Order: sequence, then structure tokens, then C-alpha cells
Amino acid sequence: MAEIDCGARSTREINAELKQWIQRGETDIVVRHPGARHNLAVAILSPARVRLEGSAGYFCAGLIDGPTIEISGSAGWGLAESMMNGRVVVEGNAGNGAAAAIRGGTVVIHGDAAARLGASMKGGLVIVGGNCGYMAGFMAQKGTLIVCGDAGEAFADSMYATTCFVGGRIADLGTDAVLAEPTAEDIAFVDDALAAWLPPAIRGKRPPAREFRKVVAGRKLWNFDHREWKLWQEAL
Amino acid sequence: MSVLQASGVFQPGVIDDIQTKAASGLYRIRGYGTLRERRWATFDDLTFLPCSLTRIPLEGYREKCSTKTVLGTRFAGKPVELDIPVMITGMSWGALSYNAKVALAKGAAAVGSSNTTGDGGMLLAERENSRTLIYEVLPSRYGINIHHMRMADAIELTIGQGAKPGTGGLLLGSKVSDTIARQRDLPIGVDQRSPARHPDFLGPDDMIIKVEELREATDWQVPIFIKMGASRVFDDVKLAAKAKADVIVVDGMEGGTGASPAILQEHTGIPTLAAVCEARAALEDCGLYGEVQLVIAGGIRDGVDAAKAIALGADAVYIGTAALIGLNCNRPIHVEDYHQLGTEPYHCHHCHTGRCPVGITTQDPELMRRLDIEEGAARVSNLLRAMTLEIQMLARACGKSDVHHLEPEDMAALSMEASAICGIPLAGTRRVFGR
Ligand SMILES: Cc1cc2nc3c(=O)[nH]c(=O)nc-3n(C[C@H](O)[C@H](O)[C@H](O)COP(=O)(O)O)c2cc1C
Ligand code: SF4
Repeated sequence: MAEIDCGARSTREINAELKQWIQRGETDIVVRHPGARHNLAVAILSPARVRLEGSAGYFCAGLIDGPTIEISGSAGWGLAESMMNGRVVVEGNAGNGAAAAIRGGTVVIHGDAAARLGASMKGGLVIVGGNCGYMAGFMAQKGTLIVCGDAGEAFADSMYATTCFVGGRIADLGTDAVLAEPTAEDIAFVDDALAAWLPPAIRGKRPPAREFRKVVAGRKLWNFDHREWKLWQEAL
Repeated sequence: MSVLQASGVFQPGVIDDIQTKAASGLYRIRGYGTLRERRWATFDDLTFLPCSLTRIPLEGYREKCSTKTVLGTRFAGKPVELDIPVMITGMSWGALSYNAKVALAKGAAAVGSSNTTGDGGMLLAERENSRTLIYEVLPSRYGINIHHMRMADAIELTIGQGAKPGTGGLLLGSKVSDTIARQRDLPIGVDQRSPARHPDFLGPDDMIIKVEELREATDWQVPIFIKMGASRVFDDVKLAAKAKADVIVVDGMEGGTGASPAILQEHTGIPTLAAVCEARAALEDCGLYGEVQLVIAGGIRDGVDAAKAIALGADAVYIGTAALIGLNCNRPIHVEDYHQLGTEPYHCHHCHTGRCPVGITTQDPELMRRLDIEEGAARVSNLLRAMTLEIQMLARACGKSDVHHLEPEDMAALSMEASAICGIPLAGTRRVFGR
């Protein structure tokens, strides 16, 4: 296992060292004292495990493909944005736009996520142990979004084909978001995902998978239609 | 004999507009760019002042006049080096056909210029056929792929476009074919409206961090461009410079589009002439003129417009629509297909329909075949060559051995508006109006 102590070093130096370790074949790296610096562990493209002992700033683990990034504290805006593949686990909370535009992989937030969680996500799996802020799933395209706690306003607004599951209350559904009946496969999927990704202490506080509500796109915004004027008026 | 009198208010275009909306219940959407008669000051309101006795010209057909263009000298390890100052702008694969994308890449590469991806990600064939490829990062993030980003020679973080500043992209269902849907992770056939804001940052302060992320992702090697539609250019350019952009792209209100609400094309943003002047003033105001490079886009038709933009402060220009016209857009061939769209050659602005008669803005394999890649590439490179010769001709006549030495003092204004906007004396006077 390799160790990087951020100390007073710049993001550029820390990321360069991280990439050097990975290039040398190191598969397990601990980053100490990250100090909520922005842009840590960006664009890591190999399947190494990187553990940040502390909190990260904006865009941590952005644009990655393949690694496992763990953050023992919280993460700022744009966590794992545009990730292709890999796993990102935050043991605290995450700021706005977590998992935005991800194309694959898994993002797990043990605590709460702020606004615009999973906005424009294009695939992958997002799991939030706590609550999420407003406009989660905004214009999300594919993949699955699971929020174990409560969801904020305008949930799942203007979505394409992402499927969402919410364990708690939904403040209100966004434009064209509709509730759907979960299938047996859906329930099994949520159950397995939570068992695989959330620690029992968090999982235990949340309702069982069969009580999660499923939210999908009503598909009324997929194509222009003047008969749906009221809906379009809100969306355009 | 009776005299027909038409309303000056409800002209035929207005009547058509009202009746179309009365039928559809929706604002009008179309491609191409503004159709308004340009009553505002444009590059045509400026004229060059070649040498006579006070200055000595270069031999037009003999003496060297450099067109080399370097972008991204501020922070990037490897600035973009181009042989000419005319670049092909970002037009998405989706709005454009595969053949059009590859023809543009090949055409630009043949003359040492660049091309830019667009709102749908990179096409591998585009990379393979480009010499210099600029990778666009847009609010939609369609097709975003770190591996593609790392293959690029520059990154363009797009905040907006001149044809529709402040709004997102639009691709009507007829163009969301199965290939394009797969590329963009969308259901086939949806009327795709993409977001206006980036999903992971909002204001200029967050953008500073975003730019740093893009540098980290590309090892601080390639230049970062920031592209914006021209609205509050003076302030926006300063904010982009503060965010540590290497290059700022300003796209004026004449800027082209594959599909946008018509009213945005006609009634939002400021004209390209005004935009370049404000952008230069902003960079001068923060002491970064020359250090941050400026690329101007929006209605650039020829080497004359390009030379004037350069003289006013641009380091290079982007062309979109002109390049498509080079590829045969609006050419009087396949005329019956223009008629099917309800239009005529020279009047077409129907890119949004996906039924482009000349195979440029379509995903229909039959129509696309009408655009031969090799022929198209040759036409694009010829156009870029001719535009470059035009710029050089004007520069030599003004006594410059480098096109980048053109300056506002090489021009006179032909209207009071242009004089006031550009700070250039009105021809026949020594006065700058408005000062
Ligand atoms: C068919 C077409 C597609 C376009 N697609 C994009 C795009 O994907 N992303 C973008 O930033 N701008 C796009 N634009 C705008 C151009 O990048 C550029 O700003 C504009 O075309 C410049 O104006 P001009 O066409 O008058 O040269 C598109 C323009 C056209 C004509
Ligand atoms: S000819 Fe094709 S590219 Fe040109 S305006 Fe018509 S549809 Fe658009």
C-alpha cells in the first residue's frame, strides 16, 4: 500500500504523485489530509483503489474510468462527474451535482446529497443512504438512482430513461415525472444494491426495498405536442 | 390599374409566422442562423485603408505574409499551432451527418487548420482525420468520454452559442436515429432538448475550479478554450479570463445553428462586430490582451470578414455556416428535395428537419450519400485556402508581413454606428463618433 500525505502540496502535485503510483503498478493508495482540496483523483483511468482520509472539494473523482475511490469524509460539488466506470464511495455527504453526467459505474453516498444529484446521468448506479436536495435526476437519461431517505423538490424533472427509487418522502415530483409500480425484479434489484453497497448500520435505518417508490419519466416531454401545452409551459 | 399595397407591419413572413404558430401551438424552430435583414453595423461597415504614400505595401504576389496562428500560450504545455487563422467550429455529429463531420475534419487538416467536435461527443473517424481537434465540453455532456478528451489537442468548455445564448441544444426526433441515440444515451426519436446549465457547476467562481479540473484531466498540456454566446461580452470575457481560460471564443448573434427557436436567432445577443470590440476592450481592461487569445465566430463569410475581425482584435475566426455552404448547402442541386421541404436553393434553413437535400444536416443514409467525403474535404480545404489568400491580400496591401499585425488603424468606418462601436474614425472625417 502506498501513502500520499497532502501536507501543503498543490492539487497538481498530489494528482501527479497519485498517477505515478498507479503507473508503477500500485493498486492500493491512501491519501492523507486531503483538506477538502478541489479536483483530487481526477481522470484516474486504471482499476486501483484510492482512499482519501478526510474530505474532498469540488469534482473529486471526476472523469474517471475504472478505479475505486473512497472518501472517508464529505465531498464538494460535482463528485465523480462524467465518470465512465468505477466506484466512488463517500462516507459523509456530497455537494451539488454529485454523479452528474456519469455514463457508468457506481456512486454511493452514505450521508445526504445536495441539489441536482445525478443530473444528466447517462448510465450507472447512484445510491444515497440519506436524503437528496432539489432537482435530483434532472434530465437524467439512463441508469438507476436510489435515494433511501427523502427527496427534495422537482424530483426526476424532465427525465428520459433513468429509473429512480425513493425510500422516504418525495417533496414533489418534477415536470413529467410519474410514479410507477415497482416490479418484483425492481424490488430485488434495490434490495441487492443496498445490501451490496450500504453498511448495515445505514441500511437498517431505511425502509425495506419493497416500500421504495419508483419514479420514471411520463414521456410527455419526449416529443413536442401542443396538447400537452401546460406541461411544456413549465418545461420550456 | 390597381396598386397592391401590403402592410409594412404584417409582411408575408409575419403572416406565415403567425399562421404556422396558430397551427402548431409551438414557437418556430429552424436551423441556419438569423434571417433578419441586417440593419445593424456589420463588418461591411468597415473598409481597409491600404498603403499609398504614408505606408509601404508588401508585394502582393511575392513577399511573405505569415498566417501562422498560435492559440493557448497562457498556461498550456502544448499550445495549438495552426497554419491559418480560420478554423472549423464545433458542429455536432447529430446535427451534421457522419460524412459532413469527416469531410470537415479532412478539409481542415489538409490546410493545417483545426476542427471542433460538438454537442454529441467525438467521432473516432473525426479524430483520425483531424490534424488538430478541439474537444467540446457542453452542458449536455452527451457522449462525454475522458479517453476522447485526452486524445484532443484542446478542450472547449462551452457556456453558450451566439444563435441562442442562455439556452441549451435542440435536436428534433427525426435526427435522433438509432446511432445518434446510442451515442448520446437517449431514447431513439425523442425531440432532444439539452440543458442550458452545466450539471456540475453554475457561476464563474465554480468555473475556475472546473477549468482546473479539465487541466488536471489533460495533464496541463492542452489549451482550455471557453466559448460563449455574445450577450454581456465585456463582463463575460473578463470572467472567462479570470477563470484562467487560455482562449476565449465569442460567438455573435449572427452565429449559425443546427436547430434553435427562431426568435432566439433573431432577437438575442449582440452582433459579431460589436462582440469582437467588446471582447478586446475587456481583455485590454484586465491587461490580458495578447496573453489570452480571442476567437471570433458568427456570420463570418469570407477572408474579408475574417481580416476585419483580426484587425479588431481576434487571433482567429471560427466558421460554421460558411463551411457548410462550401460543402454545397443551399446549392441548386436536388432542387425537388428543397421543394419538398417547402423551400428553394439559396433560401433553405431547414437543417432541423433532418431532410437536408445535400446530405449535410441529416442522418438519413440515402441523403448522406449525396455528400462525398473526399469531394467535400477538397471543397472545404479550397474554401479555407481562398479565405486565407483573401486575408493575406488585405494584410499585404496594408503593409503587414503577418496577418496578425492588422489593427484597427488599418480601417475606416463607413457608418457612424460602426465608428462608435469600433472606435474607428468615420471615413472622410477624423472623428470617432460617440467619443
Ligand atoms: C449545423 C450546426 C451545428 C452546430 N452545433 C453546435 C454544437 O454542437 N456546439 C456548439 O457549441 N455550437 C454549435 N453550432 C454553432 C457553431 O459552433 C458556431 O458557433 C456558429 O456556427 C458560428 O456561426 P456561423 O455558422 O455563422 O459561422 C452549430 C452550428 C451549426 C451551423
Ligand atoms: S441545404 Fe442542408 S445544410 Fe443547408 S440550410 Fe438546407 S438543410 Fe441546412
